[in-house]
Amino acid sequence: MTRIMKKNIIICLVCSLLLASNAFGADPDSRKKKVEVIARVGYSIGGTAPLGIPATIRSIDAFRPTASIMAGADLKLSLIGSWGIMAGLHYENKAMDAEVTTKGYRMEVVKGDSRIEGLFTGHVKQEVTQKMLTVPVMLTCRLGNRVTWKVGPYISFLLDKDFSGIASDGYLRQGDPTGQRVDMGAKEGEWATYDFSDEMLDRQFGVAMGFDWRLAKHVGIMTDINWGLTGIFDKDFKTVEQTLYPIYATVGLYLCF
Amino acid sequence: MRKYLSIALMFAFVLSSCIKDELPNTECDIVSAWVEGEQYATSFYHPSQMRHDNISTAEKEIVFSVRSLISLPKSLPVNFTITEGATIQPASGSEQDFTKGPVTYVVTSEDGEWKREYKVTFKEATMPTYKFSFENYETIQSSSNYYHEFYEVDQSGTHHNIWASGNLGAILIKTNSKAEEQPTYSTPNGYAGRGVCLNTQSAGPLGEAFHKPIAAGNLFIGRFVPEKVLFEPLKATEFGRPIDRVPIRVTGYYKYTPGPVFTDMEMNKYPNRTDEASIYAVFYRNKDNEGNDVLLYGDDVLSSPFIVKKAEVATLPPTSEWTRFEMFFEGNEADDVILAAQGYSITLVFSSSKDGASFEGAIGSELLIDEVEMTFENTDND
Repeated sequence: MTRIMKKNIIICLVCSLLLASNAFGADPDSRKKKVEVIARVGYSIGGTAPLGIPATIRSIDAFRPTASIMAGADLKLSLIGSWGIMAGLHYENKAMDAEVTTKGYRMEVVKGDSRIEGLFTGHVKQEVTQKMLTVPVMLTCRLGNRVTWKVGPYISFLLDKDFSGIASDGYLRQGDPTGQRVDMGAKEGEWATYDFSDEMLDRQFGVAMGFDWRLAKHVGIMTDINWGLTGIFDKDFKTVEQTLYPIYATVGLYLCF
Repeated sequence: MRKYLSIALMFAFVLSSCIKDELPNTECDIVSAWVEGEQYATSFYHPSQMRHDNISTAEKEIVFSVRSLISLPKSLPVNFTITEGATIQPASGSEQDFTKGPVTYVVTSEDGEWKREYKVTFKEATMPTYKFSFENYETIQSSSNYYHEFYEVDQSGTHHNIWASGNLGAILIKTNSKAEEQPTYSTPNGYAGRGVCLNTQSAGPLGEAFHKPIAAGNLFIGRFVPEKVLFEPLKATEFGRPIDRVPIRVTGYYKYTPGPVFTDMEMNKYPNRTDEASIYAVFYRNKDNEGNDVLLYGDDVLSSPFIVKKAEVATLPPTSEWTRFEMFFEGNEADDVILAAQGYSITLVFSSSKDGASFEGAIGSELLIDEVEMTFENTDND
């Protein structure tokens, strides 16, 4: 949590500075503009997780959203009244690092033609990294002078993907709960590592919703929630029992011209 | 400002708040089994034989070694500890008659979905035979894999699973494999009838990742504990079983072909080294001075201070013809009192790679074994 707290403090400081600058700034009204270019930079936190934690996960021992940066640009077109449309290209990194304690969690460790498959009870350290280019297409609605609400679908193209982890301090029952048990220790060589990066889909779909909150003429802050509607794995990939959805929130700054 | 903080906290909250209630246990193992009571102690050579505290999850039969089946009480309670929440039928501690053969116990998991059957048997503590022709084997299924398990039959027709192998470790990383694809299996091409084929295999990329890149074929008198293969592989092999006589010699027939490339634990190649097979036997004291059980493991089977005598075949030159081997026990004299109290154990070990226990050897090495026989002091063999 301390890392999140630190990030929050930084975000708060930046926001305070912006608010201060706003006090001396020009009129933020931009209603006359038809087309705007918006450059954004943000920090994302969230998780790639099942909707509803399966009962085989007994506790979440650590959850660290690792440095997840969003940067990109949108083109915003004002249409009728307060309505508009916005599309862009964002670079995103949706990463996380979680540690859980499991009881009878189905897993499979595959390397080449060898594989261990069964039910794992013990400690799992999971790392997910998804670097992607995202194209959001959003409907925008101005709510007053400063705030714009936006909602719409997005498609992401993955540039780099990693879904790997370590199963340690526990045991695996091969196949099912009556299968032979193999104990796993707390250091390399005694634990099992797994890597399902290759099974991850190259494309993700989802919906995003958020607000742009203009602080000064060219500066604003933004929030977004990106809710993945497709799992991160191919449907045929059964090893990870639950469908994992990337659900991330972004807070950041934007400049508009 | 509060908005950002709350977003940051949201995920942690969402994730931690939806931990579901723990599901009932799905496992259904017998963890330990024991007989208690003074009235039963006389049936055993030693109180430690009245308990099995480390029952492996691979075991389907729990054997109590007794002095004699004839003097065994007709009704006897065996107690069990089983997986938490599981149930056992017949009940733990219920009186059963073991003199007519095995009694089958069924353990049902707490959630009621899974069952395991165990046979509990009382057997006389003697070795069933000293002539090993390797004609008897059983094909066992474990998950989607199959493997062979060798057993011996005594004069009354009772099966004794005195032989163990590392097959249970090798199949861990396999799926849908046949018994003949394992490091240790029964071959129809023995010296006489069937024999044993031991071969050193690659443990695949996964084995390499665990720094256990090869699996040597092995067969030994003792027990293999698959739980330990990753954690402490040298403790996975438990050598020996009690014997009531003093061995002199072991003879048998072998064929050996070393694999082409000798490698170590990290798969480094050694062009100048040729793999070697190993055949040895160890006769050791199975109790320390305080009367505690002594077992030999992969790390001390040839070096333990409890070893009384050992026999090793000095060299096993590669040969594609059945070739006779002979080895003599050397060491100290055995004590008759200890012998009478079942205080000695014996193991006989065959491996297709001499240093297979430390994952050194050549993939492809193959050792065939058949018609092995032990001879003893002061006894008419046969």
